[in-house]
Amino acid sequence: MLFWVIAAILTLGASLAVLLPLAGGSRGASSSGDHDLEVYRDQLSELDRDAARGLIQPAEAAEARAEIARRILRLDSADQAGKTSARQASVTARLIATMAVLAVPLVSWGLYSQIGSPDLPSQPLSERLAKNPADSSVDELVARAEAHLAANPSDGRGWEVLAPVYLRMQRFSDAVAAYRNAIRLDGDSAVRQAGLGEAVAGAAGGVVSADAQDAFEAALKLDPANMKARFYLAMALAQEGRNKEAITAWQAMLGTLPPDSPWRGAVEQALAKSGTPEVASSAAAKGPDAAEIDAASSMSPQDREAMINTMVASLDEKLRQNPRDAEGWMRLVRSYVVLGKADQARDALGRAIAVFGAGSDEAKKFTAFAASLGLTATE
Amino acid sequence: MVEIGHFALVLAFALSLVQTIVPLFGARLNNQRLMAVGGPVAVTGFALTALSFVALAGAYANSDFSVANVWENSHSLQPLIYKITGTWGNHEGSMLLWVLILTFFGALVAAFGSNLPATLRANVLAVQGTIGAAFFLFILATSNPFIRLNPAPIEGRDLNPVLQDLGLAIHPPLLYLGYVGFSICFSFSVAALIEGRIDASWARWVRPWTLVAWMFLTGGIAMGSYWAYYELGWGGFWFWDPVENASFMPWLAGTALLHSAIVMEKRSALKIWTLLLAILTFSLSLLGTFLVRSGVLTSVHAFATDPTRGVFILCILTLFIGGSLALFALRASRLTAGGLFHPISREGALVLNNLFLTTATATVLVGTLYPLALEALTGDKISVGAPFFDLTFGPLMLPLLVLVPFGPLLAWKRGDVIAASQRLMAAFALALAAMLVTGLFIDGASVFAALGIGLAVWLVTGALTDLAIKSGVGSVAPAVMVRRFAGLPRSVFGTALAHLGLGLTLLGIVATLSFGTEKILTMRAGETVELSGHTLRFVGLYPAQGPNYSEDRGRFDLIGVSGSPVGEISSAKRFYPVRQMTTTESGIKTLGLSQLYISLGDEGKDGSVVVRLWWKPLVALIWGGGLTMMAGAAMSLMDRRLRVGAPSRRRKQAVAPAGLP
Repeated sequence: MLFWVIAAILTLGASLAVLLPLAGGSRGASSSGDHDLEVYRDQLSELDRDAARGLIQPAEAAEARAEIARRILRLDSADQAGKTSARQASVTARLIATMAVLAVPLVSWGLYSQIGSPDLPSQPLSERLAKNPADSSVDELVARAEAHLAANPSDGRGWEVLAPVYLRMQRFSDAVAAYRNAIRLDGDSAVRQAGLGEAVAGAAGGVVSADAQDAFEAALKLDPANMKARFYLAMALAQEGRNKEAITAWQAMLGTLPPDSPWRGAVEQALAKSGTPEVASSAAAKGPDAAEIDAASSMSPQDREAMINTMVASLDEKLRQNPRDAEGWMRLVRSYVVLGKADQARDALGRAIAVFGAGSDEAKKFTAFAASLGLTATE
Repeated sequence: MVEIGHFALVLAFALSLVQTIVPLFGARLNNQRLMAVGGPVAVTGFALTALSFVALAGAYANSDFSVANVWENSHSLQPLIYKITGTWGNHEGSMLLWVLILTFFGALVAAFGSNLPATLRANVLAVQGTIGAAFFLFILATSNPFIRLNPAPIEGRDLNPVLQDLGLAIHPPLLYLGYVGFSICFSFSVAALIEGRIDASWARWVRPWTLVAWMFLTGGIAMGSYWAYYELGWGGFWFWDPVENASFMPWLAGTALLHSAIVMEKRSALKIWTLLLAILTFSLSLLGTFLVRSGVLTSVHAFATDPTRGVFILCILTLFIGGSLALFALRASRLTAGGLFHPISREGALVLNNLFLTTATATVLVGTLYPLALEALTGDKISVGAPFFDLTFGPLMLPLLVLVPFGPLLAWKRGDVIAASQRLMAAFALALAAMLVTGLFIDGASVFAALGIGLAVWLVTGALTDLAIKSGVGSVAPAVMVRRFAGLPRSVFGTALAHLGLGLTLLGIVATLSFGTEKILTMRAGETVELSGHTLRFVGLYPAQGPNYSEDRGRFDLIGVSGSPVGEISSAKRFYPVRQMTTTESGIKTLGLSQLYISLGDEGKDGSVVVRLWWKPLVALIWGGGLTMMAGAAMSLMDRRLRVGAPSRRRKQAVAPAGLP
């Protein structure tokens, strides 16, 4: 409401700026000749000053004075000839005046109604953060916590609360930083180390890298019963292609887990999929469908491996025919890494970079991605 | 508040349409009332644009991420100062700043234009309104900073870290004050062409506007150059980069315009030159805006795939440049010639100056546009850099710089070169001595150094000679001399200061390029290095946390003769997590007019760091010269000539006969 009042006042002001001069009396304005004369007068006096200072020779000064005088004479005659009547033009003038006065509100309100968002109030961040937490979205709560931590960066408890929220929001690099801060400020604990490991793995697209493994191992050292750490370390084995060891580890976990543990489901699922660890789970978009996974889990290990190899090979073939698919290349590189075929992974990376050109953004993305998997482009 | 700003912007656009049409018809129909509309509308338009700008700046200051522009270019953790300067650190906001300055200058003409003939004032405001309308439309149609997001994101994407710097906060407003200041000269020229005549008061108005615009543009370029010097971490002060050229071309043309306007004001000569230069200068300002804002520089192909903005600016460019030049071709012949002069005279010297400067502008234009044209036509990417400009721009500037000190010493209408040369003997002797000293004692191998230093000294002493001669050194008693010196018109000081500043800048450039030294090495904490007689010890690398970045700060101690530290320099590598970008903060220690410059490179695994060191002798003069030029322009602005009153009827009766010989 307030907005419409202010908008109306602004429009009124703008319209008055047009209206008032049009309605005002025609002051007897001076003709341009008067202005010119004023300037010439000044030029003459300046000429005198310059001559006195020797900036112009006396003969030239006299000549210049005559030039200016001639201009003044010309001015007088032009002035007398230039008086014309403006009567007959007054109809046109009135038409233009009316249009101008109407144009201001019409153009402004017409245009604004098309492009404006009059119902959307301003939302300064401080106001949004000050309102009742119960009304806030998760994003806003996180932002509030961030603002608090920006002001008190040594609040370890704050970092610890925020870190798992980041994990759930998939803001993995923020989660890594938050866990590191919590560990730095409040000391080591199995939960924090395991969380850090999960965050590092999340940041690498689900690959349990060496850094992540370090964190999980640290967690296990503090608490041998930490289920998250054990689960992910088994996952790391699976990703390295050491399926049997992974399955043994998971089965050992199942044996110790209480019947109502939330990890039970995760482990069972992982066991079910253990033939196709990463290729299947992270390539959801274009990976094998559920039926294929079912088929894979009921096959013999040899058949399963053959099937995975076939799928990867078909992806490889697809990319040969249709190479401008950055997502596809990354999936292929990761598949080769997970299958333990480093040479082929490197070869795929090389081809991917060649497709997009060595200096391109994609190429940089590929190199960074490969580095996160522990792979370098050049041998 | 945000939507009020948006509405004010739309309203300002509507007013700019009125300002375009009504005064123009008023001048045609000679209708006082229609003409009178221009003034109040221009002032109101400025007030509304200012309101709109304040609304946007407020949204930035309050981190209102419901505004898309704020979300894209701000972050809640940024320091307040960079939140606010972020308003013009992006395309949309900077265009809003552009029209804000445009309407500000329009309002100034309206407010102080009472001593202008009514039709001229109306036409000027109409042309100014046209430019405003075109840019308002551009903003509203393609670059609206008030687009909203609903629901609003909770955090922004941060301002480009390179722009989070005070130098860059001041640079664009200065540059725009310069660019847009020339729009007034342009409007005056087009108004004169529309009327088909040039009033005597025309030049009185154009010169101060040119001065103001030129002063700000000089400051903007100097600031931009200093920013590039310390922020980009390469220690270079001028790269012949298209973005720099885009601001340099209007400066060159504007310098010619400035000199031409002086002749026109004093002697009513060079009318055609002045008109054409005013049109060209503003055209080059528009071209600069186009080059920087359309994205055509980053990639011709990116421009071709998303051409909305670029094509729009191209249309504006065609409309204003093409339209004004066509008008010029139609009407220029109707303008009466002004005062006469001999080839050897102050006027003649200034014509020569104009020729040199416009040719130099043309070479820079070719060097800037040729690579773009080539890429568009053939797809080949080439870069035209320093070698091209050294070969073309350099030789053009050399004779001009040699001739600069003669100009102010030549008399109007008919000058005497021999007399002027005699007066410059002392300056010439000093310049020669400087060349000899440079060649014999400092650096015998470099002809460039000797010539450059000599030329710089020639410019500086030449400018001082001008002041000395005009206050009568050597010919009158000291007391008279002091009185004369104090009584000199401010514009004489302005000329001398501007030419002096040019000499200082040249001195700084030549000294830095010829005598500067550089070292790149790997250092560990505790190691020392010597560079051009200065010993530096690397104290170590310390991590630190900024409001929205983390940094590794390398500290260096400057070791004095006694072996104890006499000063500290620190350079840092900053990491901005939101944009995942790293920037280098160079460490600079100013010693007199020279500087030690340190920039950190990559960190080795064993705690060593790559360090780049430069010794830059007299480098501060490069920008000091720019400041001196600005001071000259400010001095000239205070000249009494600029205070011509409005005519009053009674005075006219009394004075007119007295003015006749």
